[in-house]
Amino acid sequence: MSSWLDYTINGLIVGNVYALVAVGLALIFGVSRLINFAQGSIYLVGAYIGWVAVVQLHTPLPLTIIVVAVAAAIVGLIIERFGLRPLQNSVRIAPLLATIGISFVLDQLVMLTFSPNPRALPSQLPEVRFQVGNGTIGPLDLLIAGVGITSALLLFVFLRYSKLGWAVRAASQDRDAAMQMGVDVNRVNQAVFGIAAALGGVSGMLVGMYYNQIDTAMSLQATLKGVVAEVVGGAGNVPGAVIGSLLLGLVESYGVAVFGTSYRNLFAFLLLVVVLVLRPNGLFASARQAPPEPLTGTFIAPSRPVRIPRWALAVAAAGFAILPLFPVSFYVLQTLINAWLLGMLALSLTLVAGTIGQVSLGHAALLAIGAYTSALLSLTLNVPVGLAVIGGGLMSAALGTLLISPSFRLRGHYVSIATLAIGEIVSLVILNWESVTRGPIGISGIPPLSLFGYDLISPTPIYWFSFAVMVVLALLQGRLLTSHLGRSFRAIRDDDIAARAYGLSLNRYKSLAFIFGGFAAGVSGGIAAHLYSYINHETFNTQQSILALTVVILGGLGNVVGAILGSVALVGLPEVFRIAAEYRILIYGIVLLLLVRFRPQGLLGTM
Amino acid sequence: MTASAPEPLLALSNVDTFYGQAQVHFGLSITVARGHIVCLLGGNASGKSTTMKIILGLVKPRSGEVTFDGASLLGLSTPQIVRRGIASVPEARRLFADMSVRENILMGAFVRNDREAIAQDLDKMLTLFPKLGQRLSQRAGSLSGGEQQMVAMARALMSRPRMIVMDEPTMGLSPLYVDRVLELIRTINQEGVSVFMVEQNASLALEIAHEAYVLQTGKIVLSGPARALKDDPRVRDAYLGGSEAA
Repeated sequence: MSSWLDYTINGLIVGNVYALVAVGLALIFGVSRLINFAQGSIYLVGAYIGWVAVVQLHTPLPLTIIVVAVAAAIVGLIIERFGLRPLQNSVRIAPLLATIGISFVLDQLVMLTFSPNPRALPSQLPEVRFQVGNGTIGPLDLLIAGVGITSALLLFVFLRYSKLGWAVRAASQDRDAAMQMGVDVNRVNQAVFGIAAALGGVSGMLVGMYYNQIDTAMSLQATLKGVVAEVVGGAGNVPGAVIGSLLLGLVESYGVAVFGTSYRNLFAFLLLVVVLVLRPNGLFASARQAPPEPLTGTFIAPSRPVRIPRWALAVAAAGFAILPLFPVSFYVLQTLINAWLLGMLALSLTLVAGTIGQVSLGHAALLAIGAYTSALLSLTLNVPVGLAVIGGGLMSAALGTLLISPSFRLRGHYVSIATLAIGEIVSLVILNWESVTRGPIGISGIPPLSLFGYDLISPTPIYWFSFAVMVVLALLQGRLLTSHLGRSFRAIRDDDIAARAYGLSLNRYKSLAFIFGGFAAGVSGGIAAHLYSYINHETFNTQQSILALTVVILGGLGNVVGAILGSVALVGLPEVFRIAAEYRILIYGIVLLLLVRFRPQGLLGTM
Repeated sequence: MTASAPEPLLALSNVDTFYGQAQVHFGLSITVARGHIVCLLGGNASGKSTTMKIILGLVKPRSGEVTFDGASLLGLSTPQIVRRGIASVPEARRLFADMSVRENILMGAFVRNDREAIAQDLDKMLTLFPKLGQRLSQRAGSLSGGEQQMVAMARALMSRPRMIVMDEPTMGLSPLYVDRVLELIRTINQEGVSVFMVEQNASLALEIAHEAYVLQTGKIVLSGPARALKDDPRVRDAYLGGSEAA
């Protein structure tokens, strides 16, 4: 049995690894006010470059570290130059979305190059452990600690004594003023991305060696942990990021000691939510100032929505409604059923992210809540499936709104981080709450969809059912947008301070938006559960949240018809062109990048 | 008075500026003669600060020309313009709040590489602004408004500029510091640095300026030697509280 000292040592070592990621995030946030969601992908790239160096080129350890640092830095420079610099003058959400797109592309390229199977990454260090008090420590622990401390010292010297380091600090405190001193902000950005990528890459390599295993799932986890550590320490605060990382490592390690391994991440995200709610500027931020977040209005690309005449919409809807009467293959119907289910999720997200301006990155959690509720209602309580699905929608509406409500006071990027964390928490609670959710085994044998006693098993009735539900939700949402309520939502999105000054209660309207959106997403999840007949805690994951966001941006934020069009396009087109599944994520990433760069208002325009 | 000036140091000619659809400047033309203090007066939203931003390259005009020492500034980035010899004292000082006073002042010399001369110039700043001597290692954000203004001016001088542009240098300062700041601007000017300043406080600005322009909703409505403008009834009415004072 491990001792407390062991858990402490483990927590500090893991914290060191997080620090290498978080410091890079903090540097980038400081200069660009951007949360770099591609940081984990660079970490992943670093791990695989390390694998190539160690396993194929047989480089000695010091050389491996240098190779990884340099190669990762080059990736970072490329991301900055070609992914982000062109977006300098676009809306505030653009670079954030671009880093999400870049991370999809990088992760998928790594997966296509190296296959998704895990690989061993040997550390080349002797397998001995030294006794320290009643704990033990190995050479790899010492290496990680050494790299962490050395990097921190180098960074300190760089920021404190070099000219470029001064420029970085000046630019992160006041970008315009720094330019007026002659600082070339592009060079500063380059430097910061290069450093962040080098640290992130080395971190990925070290983690690979620590567990002697690397796989492509590392990327998202690293981003999430780095973001948690950075926000806990105070976004943009470099020493804060280090302390936040060590704290995160310790909290996780002690959490594992007390509750078990599957609780590790739960503690990380709970820590994040607690910090966001109680001290959104981080534990170590002075009360002096909040980071200059933009008003929500500057977050969304303004545009004139494309007007589509009602008769055209009616014709299109009628066309899709009578489609099964024609001799189309089940495969086409199946694809469109998926599109309608995604469409319901997109309706929900376009309302929350587009109309009221809360860009949610954890929307899949609403699907999960709806799916589990509906599945369990029908399985354990024998509730008729039709009612169970509605129950799923209501539960998503209630629970989703309750869970998000503590973060209603947050704005901009912080809403995205909070929703991401809450989404992860939902999935982790499902994993760990075995008495109700059956934990990692998942729920199998979920009864098929049925209405008034008739089972819907063949694709045609399922198609009609899901299409009808989506159309009803879309009509309701369209009606909502033209009402006084819809105007209030948009007012809050465009300028929450002005909206409040006019007497709008932000919390009440945000709750209403999440209740409506939660219901639509919960119904979608509920239907999906009965279609799949098996679900587990990973059925509805962050990738789906990001896919939904891509759909919504493709269609135009806030745009009801756009959300449905986007769903058909992103689900349907890859099927039509028979694109293999592993390339689809790559395509979603590229679509997101191209949209952000060339048509941020989406196909049909924001509303 | 200025008839002998051959070529101005800074010239804006026929500048039109837009923010989206809204036009900010309508054919703006301003010149700053070498060695002079020129003041741009105007109320809120008249386009004063935008004029500063045009000179510094932070905002690009839609049409017109901006030249410094005969060469166009259009198309140059802000850092490049700073390297041409224009330093700035931004509105509300804009110090690097978490850096020390010393670091802030030295940031002004960012475009220079002559270490020894920079150290000498730092000493010179401390004789010009003696109060800052005791504050050198303090966080800049912890200083009072007046002290911060001193740091901002020292910072601007550290690049050995040929011209300093200042956005409302007396804004938010106590009367004592207002006098001090104006005196310092005059001192700086006497050492050969041209000054272009934007001010709301017309009576004070006209005390030290050689020439002045009055900007109203993006158009120059009045210009000339400061002494003449000071007595101009239109300026008195608009900016000096003339009717009450009279």
